[in-house]
Amino acid sequence: MRRSLRVAAIFLAVALIPVVDQNGAHINFLTDAGAFVLLALGLNIVVGFAGLLDLGYAAFFAIGSYTFAMLASPQFGIHVPFWVMLFVASGVAAIFGILLGAPTLRLRGDYLAIVTLGFGEIVPQTFLNLSQWTNGPNGIGTLDQPVFFGLRFGFNPVPYFYLILALIALAIWLADNLRASRLGRAWMAIREDELAAAHMGINTTAAKLAAFALGASFSGLAGVAYASKLQLVSPDQFQFNVSVFVLSMLVLGGMGNIGGVVLGSIVLSSVDRFILPQLTNFVHGFGLNWDFTNARFLLYGVILVSMMLLRPEGLLPSRQRAAELHADRADPAVAAQEQELYERAI
Amino acid sequence: MRRTLSLNITAALAAAAFAASTAFGFAPRPAAAATVIKIGIDLPVSGADASIGIPTQNGALLAIEEANAKHVLGAGTTLQAYALDDAVQGKHDPAQGAQNVKTFIADPSVLAMIGPFNSNVAVAEIPLTNDAGLVQIAASTTNDALTRPPNAAKLRSTHPETNAFFRVCTVDSRQGAAGAQFARKLGFKRAFIVDDNETYGKGLADVFDAQFKALGGAVVDHEHITSNQQDFKALLTKARSMTPDVVFYGGTTSTGGGVVRKQMADVGLKGVAYMGGDGIGDDEFLKVAGTMANGTYYSIAAPEATRLPTAGAFVAAYKKRFNAEVGPYSANAYAAAEIEIAAIAKAMKADGGKVPTRAQVLKNVAATNDFETPIGKIGFDKYGDTTSPILSLYEVKGEKKVFVNQISLKTS
Amino acid sequence: MDLFLQQLVNGLSLGGIYALIALGYTMVYGIIELVNFAHGDVYTLGSFFSLAVLGFIGIQGELHGAPLVGVVALTLVCAMLFCGLAGVAIERFAYRPLRNAPRLALLITAIGVSFILENLMQFWRGPSPVPFPSFFPDASIMLGGVLIEAKQVIVVFLAIVMMAALQIFVYNTKLGKAMRATAQDREAAQLMGINVNTTIALTFLIGSALAGAAGFVSGVYYGTTWFFNGFSAGLKAFTAAVLGGIGNLAGAMLGGFLIGLIEAFTTQFISDQWSNVVVFSVLVLVLVFRPSGLLGESLPNKV
Repeated sequence: MRRSLRVAAIFLAVALIPVVDQNGAHINFLTDAGAFVLLALGLNIVVGFAGLLDLGYAAFFAIGSYTFAMLASPQFGIHVPFWVMLFVASGVAAIFGILLGAPTLRLRGDYLAIVTLGFGEIVPQTFLNLSQWTNGPNGIGTLDQPVFFGLRFGFNPVPYFYLILALIALAIWLADNLRASRLGRAWMAIREDELAAAHMGINTTAAKLAAFALGASFSGLAGVAYASKLQLVSPDQFQFNVSVFVLSMLVLGGMGNIGGVVLGSIVLSSVDRFILPQLTNFVHGFGLNWDFTNARFLLYGVILVSMMLLRPEGLLPSRQRAAELHADRADPAVAAQEQELYERAI
Repeated sequence: MRRTLSLNITAALAAAAFAASTAFGFAPRPAAAATVIKIGIDLPVSGADASIGIPTQNGALLAIEEANAKHVLGAGTTLQAYALDDAVQGKHDPAQGAQNVKTFIADPSVLAMIGPFNSNVAVAEIPLTNDAGLVQIAASTTNDALTRPPNAAKLRSTHPETNAFFRVCTVDSRQGAAGAQFARKLGFKRAFIVDDNETYGKGLADVFDAQFKALGGAVVDHEHITSNQQDFKALLTKARSMTPDVVFYGGTTSTGGGVVRKQMADVGLKGVAYMGGDGIGDDEFLKVAGTMANGTYYSIAAPEATRLPTAGAFVAAYKKRFNAEVGPYSANAYAAAEIEIAAIAKAMKADGGKVPTRAQVLKNVAATNDFETPIGKIGFDKYGDTTSPILSLYEVKGEKKVFVNQISLKTS
Repeated sequence: MDLFLQQLVNGLSLGGIYALIALGYTMVYGIIELVNFAHGDVYTLGSFFSLAVLGFIGIQGELHGAPLVGVVALTLVCAMLFCGLAGVAIERFAYRPLRNAPRLALLITAIGVSFILENLMQFWRGPSPVPFPSFFPDASIMLGGVLIEAKQVIVVFLAIVMMAALQIFVYNTKLGKAMRATAQDREAAQLMGINVNTTIALTFLIGSALAGAAGFVSGVYYGTTWFFNGFSAGLKAFTAAVLGGIGNLAGAMLGGFLIGLIEAFTTQFISDQWSNVVVFSVLVLVLVFRPSGLLGESLPNKV
């Protein structure tokens, strides 16, 4: 109960930001960061909950975005209403989650990662190549903007801010309930020891496919909101660096822990789009010609390596994960966590 | 206990991050009495695009510095360049460009902007500047759809009757056409076209394709390469089997323009000519292609700065200020900045020295006609395109760029 | 027909480079069951090191005869040595601490190392392609209607020689036996007195050295190098290793050549823009339908 109050308070505080800070650029940044929070939450289901290392998550983001672009723009003249598209795109993404997840079912961790990486390369390249439908490198533009009870969203980021905030709230609610459900426990079991889980009667196939589908559906939502705001969908928005970016958020913030994932996402977005460029400007003011923005990947690499070496459970860990990752140390707190989850599920 | 500690640490980290970023976000405050008017500059100045983005930015910076030195806006007002980078992870990024434009729009002292460099970034930015009524002049975005109907209207949905986007460079349909004309004039009959499957490269290649055919040439094949491709031998072998006398590359050096040329030697295409647009008109190309750079022809959507009498002073000033050679679009950016500065000055004068509104500046820019710049006299037509677009054609001989011809495509 | 043969030659040369890289992948995977994500970047590192050595020597123009052999030998050895050491360092500092950690942690660390290497190389030589000095003669012969470059011959020759040498080493020497033992059962090997840490380090040394050789050869073959080459090449080389049968040396070479051929023929008969999609689809298909690869034995799932 206390936790829900804390979360509600945070949401309320965030919702007041556009009232307090009238700077359009700040709101725009937060909205973009919010889309990535959605992506991180989705990937968290696949990697954090089910333990399936997906290195090609951007593929689902692409599928969600392009679905929206093809069904809600002048491209084919189809204009499915925005609010319906949220369902349609997340549904299509979920279906592709199952399609792309199916080949990986029998694969072990590293092979699974490589196959998802392969899909991560295949999907945007395919969108690029099928230029009769996707306009190739130019992408699809002038996408439909949402209309909320007569209010057209337009180019003001504020309505999008609230839209994404609402989607994040929905995603967190869903993710939290999934984690504490039977499916969530099945994922936990699979993550710890798939063979044992199967022998305990868990349908590992169904559980893994569900993880891919649900994880992908979040990216469908993010794709619709982000594409509608940017008014452009093009293949170079969905390259490998996006998949890694989102994965880094999880690693930094804490895989499996929803709060950690949100935190990691916001921190990395801030660093990437705000701090690094500002730092560069700041340094330029002193006449130094350094460019921190080029060091992005170096930074992510260092984050990934050092987090794995020093604190693999992330900044805000889930105690469960922490225990798993430090398996050599027994942790009585894990038992307490287990008890809590069990009680919540009753 | 441990959990609260890590929670506190992370909360502190997040707070510090935000505080730092807002602190850095404050621009240095000017002297108490002076008014500051800012011109936003959005160009890719890091990563692979930096070699062409930075000289372009420098051109604009030079114009602003000179205007301040001459007190063009009056004694109490200074012009400030607000330069932002739209390259993310080494490549120009439309979402970052949109973010930068939002930053400009949110800052009331920004009255005009210059940029972007790339056409696909412009697609993300034009709706925003149209919506906000912020005048935007680009030095190098050559894709037709940005200003030409029917596609242009889609980008101006908020204010379809107003145009806030202008450019001082010519368009790809002209570049491609000029390239095709040039190719036919040089006697080429069979062209093998390769493009990098990006907005600029594919756009240019598509135009060249159509125009070359229209002028009686044969296009034996039109292929698209993959990004990050290193091995072009199979592709070039395929080309060789079709016996072209010219290979046209639509794209930039950073996407492979130089590497393709270099590998032509290995598959028996050494004697075949190579052609491209301004994307391979940089020094990087000469470096990467080495001796194979000879026999390359390309166009630049700008006049050859050293040839124009008006450009001499600009080139000298640029060299002095930045200790480097001008880039292919430095003069364009300089001209764009000059136009905006003049528009601001005119609006101030008309209003008795008050800081003008964005709408006033926009109106003045749109009315630009016969404005003297280092790249010649510039005026804008109703679409925002320059009325006297100039194209320069070059050949690489002795591993150096040699100016061949200038085409002036003046429209009424 | 000539065109087909010409593309065959192109494909084999490209495949030779993949084969060299794949050998390293398969060795490392065989011994610690890690897909060394950073291996592709060690390949690029090889070409960068070669560039440095060539710059240090100060090559002017083409070379022939004895100086050519000398330069090639020196650069090749240096590239292999530096890359080997780089591989050992990576293993020591990034992978060894995580040897008993869950697979996920190792894989993520490997990705991190890959990024760090790529970015360092970007700082070293810039974000655009970097030209290689053209010291290798442009000699080529025309067999029928097919143009074969001397460079192409070298690539294929080197791949085969390296694989043969490696095969001899792994199956006929004591150290090789230690490697095979460690790959089979790490704990048992330890019990038998094998120094597992040293053996693993040796594996990385050899694997990375091979990648370094591939890097040198690719620099000569393509005339340019680029900091981001390793990503794509590494992924395709891994595909090759899997196609041939992971853990199998001959399989890695076979897989390498096959992937090279697939790429060349896709470019010729379909289109360049689909070549990556086809190669990665091969990866997916192999892993789904025959994960043990062409030359691998069908291993039952260990209970």
